[in-house]
Amino acid sequence: MDTSKYKALYLQETHDHLSGIEKGLLLLDKEPGNSVAVDSLFRHYHSIKGMSASMGYEPLARLAHAQEDLLDRARSKKTVPAPETVSTLLECLDALRALVKKVEGDEPLNTDISPFLDKITRARDAGATGVAAGPATAHAPEAAAVLKISDIMKVEGRVFDDLLATVGDLFMSLSAFKSLTHGVRSIEFKDNVHALGRSINSIYNNILSARMLPVEDLTEGLPRVVRDISRKSGKEVDLKIEGAEIRLDRSILEGLGSPMVHIIRNAVDHGIESRDERLSAGKPASGTISVRAYAEKDRAVIEVSDDGHGIDPDKLKAKAVAKGFPQARLASMTGKEALMLVCVPGLSTSDNVTETSGRGVGMDVVKEAIEGLGGSLEIESVHGEGTKIIMKLPRTSSIVKSLLVADGAEQFLLPMSRIIRAMEVNASSVAGGTLDMDGVGIPVIGLGSALGIRKRHENRLSTVILVDGSGAGGTGVVGVVVDSFLDEIDAYVKPLTPPISRIWGVSGITIMGDGRPVFLLDLTQIISRALAKA
Amino acid sequence: MPPVPKKVLIADDTAFFRAVIKEILEKGGFEVVGEAVNGAEAVDKARSLLPDIVILDVVMPEKNGLDAAREIMRLKLPVKILMCTSLKDDPLVDQAMDLGACGYITKPLDEDKVLSYLNGLVT
Repeated sequence: MDTSKYKALYLQETHDHLSGIEKGLLLLDKEPGNSVAVDSLFRHYHSIKGMSASMGYEPLARLAHAQEDLLDRARSKKTVPAPETVSTLLECLDALRALVKKVEGDEPLNTDISPFLDKITRARDAGATGVAAGPATAHAPEAAAVLKISDIMKVEGRVFDDLLATVGDLFMSLSAFKSLTHGVRSIEFKDNVHALGRSINSIYNNILSARMLPVEDLTEGLPRVVRDISRKSGKEVDLKIEGAEIRLDRSILEGLGSPMVHIIRNAVDHGIESRDERLSAGKPASGTISVRAYAEKDRAVIEVSDDGHGIDPDKLKAKAVAKGFPQARLASMTGKEALMLVCVPGLSTSDNVTETSGRGVGMDVVKEAIEGLGGSLEIESVHGEGTKIIMKLPRTSSIVKSLLVADGAEQFLLPMSRIIRAMEVNASSVAGGTLDMDGVGIPVIGLGSALGIRKRHENRLSTVILVDGSGAGGTGVVGVVVDSFLDEIDAYVKPLTPPISRIWGVSGITIMGDGRPVFLLDLTQIISRALAKA
Repeated sequence: MPPVPKKVLIADDTAFFRAVIKEILEKGGFEVVGEAVNGAEAVDKARSLLPDIVILDVVMPEKNGLDAAREIMRLKLPVKILMCTSLKDDPLVDQAMDLGACGYITKPLDEDKVLSYLNGLVT
């Protein structure tokens, strides 16, 4: 019998069983006597074994069988799997996942599973002297599955990427049509272009909402991460998750994966104190890490806080001085700015670096990753009480409302979200590097000179784009001088891939309706460097 | 006269095996009248759909195959029970046979074996 046509079904069910196993193992870790968890784990392994054997995926079947056997013995002997057994099973779960991934990619299943089988055998034999199982502490009967076709369709994420790219092209064509309407008298033509625009926008909005996934998809793996890291560092840590139903674009959630792990790692390794330290500080023995997600206007905010000892600003500043950071700048820093020093590569306030992290190591990468997603990162910390990392992210991505500007012979896109307004002023009034706005001097930078573009001629009038300069070391509004601004467009921005991803001052690229590539500028980078020079 | 297709109820908690068994049965001229995803549903459907044969997977949530077999037997329906297992020596299958199950098939399923077994049951 040809089973290849059942592969998709196999993968779908196996994935479900694997997440069931993870949930079950974590539950078992918390409540070692939970016989309901043991029963359901047994069934998950059993199903994976049976299906894998039928598909001819021998290593998967053998590995699942060994684990099923281990749990079956625990079941029949009424013993509780030891905590080390749970760790072994979690390791084997990773091995199962890796094998399933190979199945997915049609790769040969040539992994050597014998080390895992040995571990399971050892755990099984050790388990013979295990503790007697108590009654299940939680009676959570599995929801009775009902045979019905779901309203929810599983679609590969790639399909939406393609759809979105197509809509991006449509937007570009639309822009080209829109510019044609300027020279055309036909009302009918104009009306139709507008109608087309409305339709494209409606498709775009539908695709965007289809691409949204709940934060839960990101956080469901966290209990395991916290467990593994806290076990290694010998600390007790509880994880609280709130607001996991908030939805974000898939690509943004994906990009948040490794920054989240970095942050959690830092919190466990360097935020949360040891049990003894906590008790003598009058805190509960186990630390708490809270992940809280909520919507704030069109942005999603994800906060990760711990109730550990927080960051010591003085220690951090001292470290910065030792690393050659200019003392004058440190002195003028606010508390919040000083905390951001942890994002400077090489600045760690931790005296001992653990196996998994060192506070500071990775925070620069985290900040860069969050900003790469169009987000921002802030740190709040009260010494002795804890640290909170606040990430503010766009909820949707890819299509960026932008202003097309020209400077010299070049055109660039500026993200509309940062633009306050555009105005024309006499060139002389910005010559000094500041612009007087109602008696307040606003720092002004020339886009061309910031990017190193030679000007062909000086204009009598300058176009100043007032942008929000916060987060770039600026105190507020910053003026960016360009030759002219051309149009407001919905640009389908593609992320940059290496090697052009290394270009300074640029955060993405778009292809205009006429085929020209135009860069979307990273205003934060450009402004902070220009102001630092000035 | 063409033979009347024999009605079969499949009980297995994995959609994968329900699909595989269904394909085998339909190739062999059997009619799959229903599918159950756990033991409790198997008992309900055995009662309401009146199949000629019920194929019961041993390991299922809610109620396992053995318990489901016991309850179906208690209903005194004109139905033959076939156990399905992936273990070589499954003590639960032995118990089901003691109760009156007609036999068992083993996973991974061999199409020819399954069909010859089922044909043996209905003739």
